[in-house]
Amino acid sequence: MGMIKKLSVWIGYLIVLLALPQFFDSILAISIFNQMAIAIVFSLSYNMLLGQGGMLSFGHAVYFGLGGFLAVHALILIEFETVYFSILFIPLIGGVIGLLAAIFIGSFSTRKAGTIFAMISLGIGELIAATSLIFTDFFGGEAGISGDRTFGPLFFGVDFAQDLEIYYLAAIWVFIATVFMYLFTQTPAGRMANAVRENPERAEFIGYSARRVRFISFCASGLFAGIAGGLFALNYEFITEENLNAITSGRVLLMAYIGGLGYFIGPIIGAVILTLMNSLLSNYSELWMLYLGIMFILTVMFLPRGFAGFIMMHQTAWLRGNLKQLALPYLISGIPAFLFSMTCVAMIEMMQTEEQSFSFFGMQLATDAALTWIVAITIAVAAFYATRRSLPQLRDAWESANAIPASEKTES
Amino acid sequence: MSILTLKDVRKNFGVSEIIRGVSLDIKEGEKHAIIGPNGAGKSTLFHLISGRYNVTAGTINFNGAEIQNKPPYEIARLGLARSFQVTNIFPRLNVFENVRCALLWSNGYGYSFWHLLGKQTELNEKTMHVLEQIGLKDKALFPSGELAYAQQRALELGIAIASGAELVMLDEPVAGMSHSEAENAVELIRRITEGKTLIMVEHDMSIVFDVADRISVLVYGEIIATDTPENIRANPKVQEAYLGEVVTSA
Repeated sequence: MGMIKKLSVWIGYLIVLLALPQFFDSILAISIFNQMAIAIVFSLSYNMLLGQGGMLSFGHAVYFGLGGFLAVHALILIEFETVYFSILFIPLIGGVIGLLAAIFIGSFSTRKAGTIFAMISLGIGELIAATSLIFTDFFGGEAGISGDRTFGPLFFGVDFAQDLEIYYLAAIWVFIATVFMYLFTQTPAGRMANAVRENPERAEFIGYSARRVRFISFCASGLFAGIAGGLFALNYEFITEENLNAITSGRVLLMAYIGGLGYFIGPIIGAVILTLMNSLLSNYSELWMLYLGIMFILTVMFLPRGFAGFIMMHQTAWLRGNLKQLALPYLISGIPAFLFSMTCVAMIEMMQTEEQSFSFFGMQLATDAALTWIVAITIAVAAFYATRRSLPQLRDAWESANAIPASEKTES
Repeated sequence: MSILTLKDVRKNFGVSEIIRGVSLDIKEGEKHAIIGPNGAGKSTLFHLISGRYNVTAGTINFNGAEIQNKPPYEIARLGLARSFQVTNIFPRLNVFENVRCALLWSNGYGYSFWHLLGKQTELNEKTMHVLEQIGLKDKALFPSGELAYAQQRALELGIAIASGAELVMLDEPVAGMSHSEAENAVELIRRITEGKTLIMVEHDMSIVFDVADRISVLVYGEIIATDTPENIRANPKVQEAYLGEVVTSA
């Protein structure tokens, strides 16, 4: 990619980040954007471990949470005028704490990758989460601790009381963090992380200690997870044990995986999708975690390279100018597939609800009437059958869209 | 001047002795082949020298430094590079990245996270030069895991020699290749190890006698002879243990 093209991608990214609130300015939208900002930095930092370095961590929330706790403590110190500095730098405090925690824990956990690393990360995660509930003075027990971000010196008259002001602050941090995490992948340490992921043994025979390479990625990852924790502290002004336990660790794994581990942009996509599901879907259904779980399983089974991988799959067809050939087959398979999943969702929701009538996309469904169930099951079976029938056509269309044209075949 | 000296090196796995007291002196600049029947311990010997295994007893001296039981990366940094019998590359990195990774340490980058690889003109030129030497220049951006077998073997060699190590150890570099591929590979080996010390394990006797200045014969963990190709051919002990059947059948 040319220099100018690369630069314009980054400028575009910055513009999108800064312009989003111009288009969606409701309180809900801003709150979702803030969550996205936090999630993007967190899941990108996770991908430094799993995607770039081949280290499967079940305890990444430790660095996020510790960073966040220290950030809230810093807010408290500012509030009581023990220290005096702008809250602009709170994420940096989170980052330093994340880094220090990663230096300590990484010094022994990065000795091996694979199962051993995964098990240690799980153990450390449980240990820190359990410990945090014991030391209530520092961690605030189950209620957590809270601060107030409006103290300290003003920044050009802004006191950051508004969520929108925090969004702009977060957007700048997201941009800086994304740039640095990307640049890391372009350095010797970042490239050797890929090499160690691929083949730790050979890396040692070209002069690199696999353990040291992992350790450096691990520390960098802890730093950025801590920055995300600091952003969390600024946004919510409180933090609890849940932010460093296995739930948060699991969520960041889902984000990075669903987005796509193999691509730098993957975790960003995953963070956006999961934040949207988390904040929008949860308004409509108590079962949104179930749908998230199903989506994760389907992604692992059918899109092992995540959403980013799914998009990139179309590169060949796009380069050959055949992308539009796929539009119709996608619709023919997509509509019944969508109908099938929606009918399944309706049935799951009907099973779960205790009401006699249940509103689904504006339709009133009588949950105890046999007819509702018969119709639903019929639609589901028919839609499933239609999807199955249309798949061979989609496959053919896919193959012809990706086929090498006769003119290129002679070469090589 | 010897570059590598092994003194009474032994290796046991549990109760079985695989290497039973090997002493060997490799002179600077020589092309040395290690031959022997299957299971003689040739690959094990390579692993002991390059640091993959620890020795049970004995010393290995490389350029004045004792290297036995040192981790592979420390030995590699001293200027000892090796290839593997089974292709051992970074499969999901492209060909260019594979070779560039192998150049990083010797070019002083260490664990740097403050250099941008794209801006290291000299490093990237050196990488392209290695790719040119191993004939993979036009495959630079190709995922290395999808290369044809002979090309992967060439890349394997490229990774081994990229660092410019003084001592290059090749473990069956032409195993599994067709006759013409092997010929090309031998030509390549000759070219890229020029002025360097080479230790090679190889089964193909015509290649061994063609390339090597001296040959050591390893039988059941012991070196029974080290000599010039002519003398090795004439050595009755060698013929009895190993070579005789090969010579007559060839």
